[in-house]
Amino acid sequence: HGHLKKPNPGEELKITFILKDGAQKTFEVAEGETMLDIAQGHNLDMEGACGGSCACSTCHVIVDPDYYDALPEPTDEENDMLDLAYGLTETSRLGCQIKMSKDIDGIRVALPAMTRNVSASDFS
Amino acid sequence: MMNIRTLTTNIPRKRVSIIGSGPSGFYTAYHLLKKSKIPLHVTIWEKLPVPFGLSRYGVAPDHPEVKNCEETFTQCAEENIQNNGLHKFEFIGGITIGEQISLQKLISEQDAVILSYGSSGEHKLNIPGESDTKGVFTSREFVSWYNGHPDYALNPKFMDFDWSHVSKVGIIGNGNVALDISRVLLSNKIDEIWKKTDINPVAISLLQKAPISNVKIIGRRDFIHSKFTNKELRELWALERYGIRGSISSEFFDVSKFSSINDRALKRRIEICSEYMKDFSERTKASYKKYEPLELTLDGSTRTWELDYLKAPIKIDKDANGNIKQLTVRNQLLTDENKLVDDTSKSDIVYGLDLLITSIGYAGKPMKEFSSLNIKFNKDRVITKDNRVLSTSDVAFPRLYATGWIQSGSQGVIVSTMMNAFNVADTVIADLSKNDSTTNSQPIDVTNIPHTTWKDWEEINKRELDKGKQSGKPREKFLTSDSMYKHN
Ligand SMILES: Cc1cc2nc3c(=O)[nH]c(=O)nc-3n(C[C@H](O)[C@H](O)[C@H](O)COP(=O)(O)OP(=O)(O)OC[C@H]3O[C@@H](n4cnc5c(N)ncnc54)[C@H](O)[C@@H]3O)c2cc1C
Ligand code: FES
Repeated sequence: HGHLKKPNPGEELKITFILKDGAQKTFEVAEGETMLDIAQGHNLDMEGACGGSCACSTCHVIVDPDYYDALPEPTDEENDMLDLAYGLTETSRLGCQIKMSKDIDGIRVALPAMTRNVSASDFS
Repeated sequence: MMNIRTLTTNIPRKRVSIIGSGPSGFYTAYHLLKKSKIPLHVTIWEKLPVPFGLSRYGVAPDHPEVKNCEETFTQCAEENIQNNGLHKFEFIGGITIGEQISLQKLISEQDAVILSYGSSGEHKLNIPGESDTKGVFTSREFVSWYNGHPDYALNPKFMDFDWSHVSKVGIIGNGNVALDISRVLLSNKIDEIWKKTDINPVAISLLQKAPISNVKIIGRRDFIHSKFTNKELRELWALERYGIRGSISSEFFDVSKFSSINDRALKRRIEICSEYMKDFSERTKASYKKYEPLELTLDGSTRTWELDYLKAPIKIDKDANGNIKQLTVRNQLLTDENKLVDDTSKSDIVYGLDLLITSIGYAGKPMKEFSSLNIKFNKDRVITKDNRVLSTSDVAFPRLYATGWIQSGSQGVIVSTMMNAFNVADTVIADLSKNDSTTNSQPIDVTNIPHTTWKDWEEINKRELDKGKQSGKPREKFLTSDSMYKHN
């Protein structure tokens, strides 16, 4: 699984990805991993064209509104890139800028699809 | 389950030819090779000896992160270059499709052909003095020059120009390319920025002779219709930490007039400008207070840039030596219907200039064969429906697709180019799956045409990286096609 660290026993954090076809995948990961690394480590369809340096927005994810407020606010630089993300929503973020932490244990994020818009019902 | 390795070495693969190795061509190849369950032989054809198109020769040298997509392309090539997997990848550089090999040949001898050859031209102002005045360059020429493109890197048009008198600069257009160029010019003397980039060393040493004092970025429309993105705009303002100061006249930037704006990116564009135009001590948000600005540059000079609006260039005048002297612009007015008209209440303005760069867009050009093949081309782009190229009678061509800037028009960034490429690759896979499973396509014989392979590129790449390392840079590019071939 790529460069992903193995979480210490008892310290696993959960993250669920909702894929472009609607399928869900849940992983147990270590604190500090970025969503981009987690997705790529598990061969999900998330690109990181700029290698995670907040310069491309190919790692765009849509965060479950229930978890959105638990995330640290996006920086201005992240917002600048989000401007260009395809299918931007109120709870869009860049996967390379979000690190797993206890505050967001259990978080659910959807990968935006070109063919359909992600809506609140995707998270229910 | 069958073992793919023993099965596939000699199985017939469907042949896909991709014309152009920029981000659109490579992202198409990447997606095809990742997603296709049908065995494929993907060939990328590139007119230059080296790959990556505008990632290598467009994206600014001080934006190395943007070029990281090349790592994905390289990995994709390496994984499929051997003949021992399901798919086979091939790169053929130094061959221009439509010249050494015809498009017709590819269409008749391959299972799918994808046009991804980008924008080979550029827009012109078509005003007097534009093409015969020294010190007037197009953005494409200028960007290609500082990025070391073999057709421009050592071009006499740049080498023979006297940079030591360049103080006042005009740039026509206000897209991201215009801001890239402004940033390069304004920061020319800051070694901290340029020493560690792969900028053409010949270009930066000439540019460093220019005692630039002001760069005017001239748009036809108003502030709201500026074309740049917030990231590039923020970067330009942030040069204040080196004493490079920006401004917008209150005539064009009046916050009280913007109160009804709700667009997210536009609201933030307004915030960026109003914050940076405040005194440092009056700024509120942390991101505008990272570095205290300098009033003057480190060598004690004044260096400014300004966003200028509602001006249409009319003519360029030269001095006795043929160098640019001034640019005349006409005031414009936006009507209530958002139409641009001459503002007859004001007289024309003359800007004294030592350098003018026109940055009004790259433009796609049709290939010569398009007319005989009846391929539909309109307004800088190949016309497609559901990613398939249309004929002049609006019928989809079998086996012919287009992606990237030649499909979308010369606009958009890597992310939009990538999405478009993935979409096109999905269409190709769907079409290839529909046809019967055999293929009657053929390998294209290139033995008698000089060209580079992926292996040659690996060698060129290695030398460039090694040369760069010696001078503490990420890379030092070969500046001519000849030198690229010789170092194979
Ligand atoms: C100056 C500039 C700066 C940019 N900066 C950024 C940035 O910071 N961030 C960002 O996200 N995007 C940036 N972009 C946009 C980005 O470069 C484009 O989205 C992308 O390169 C488009 O890809 P493409 O493959 O369609 O075209 P290109 O990249 O132009 O690729 C086309 C390729 O086809 C080759 N070719 C042409 N004709 C033929 C032929 N007949 N036969 C064979 N090969 C041929 C060309 O040599 C070229 O290699 C920038 C663009 C420019 C112009
Ligand atoms: S990987 Fe480029 S912005 Fe996240």
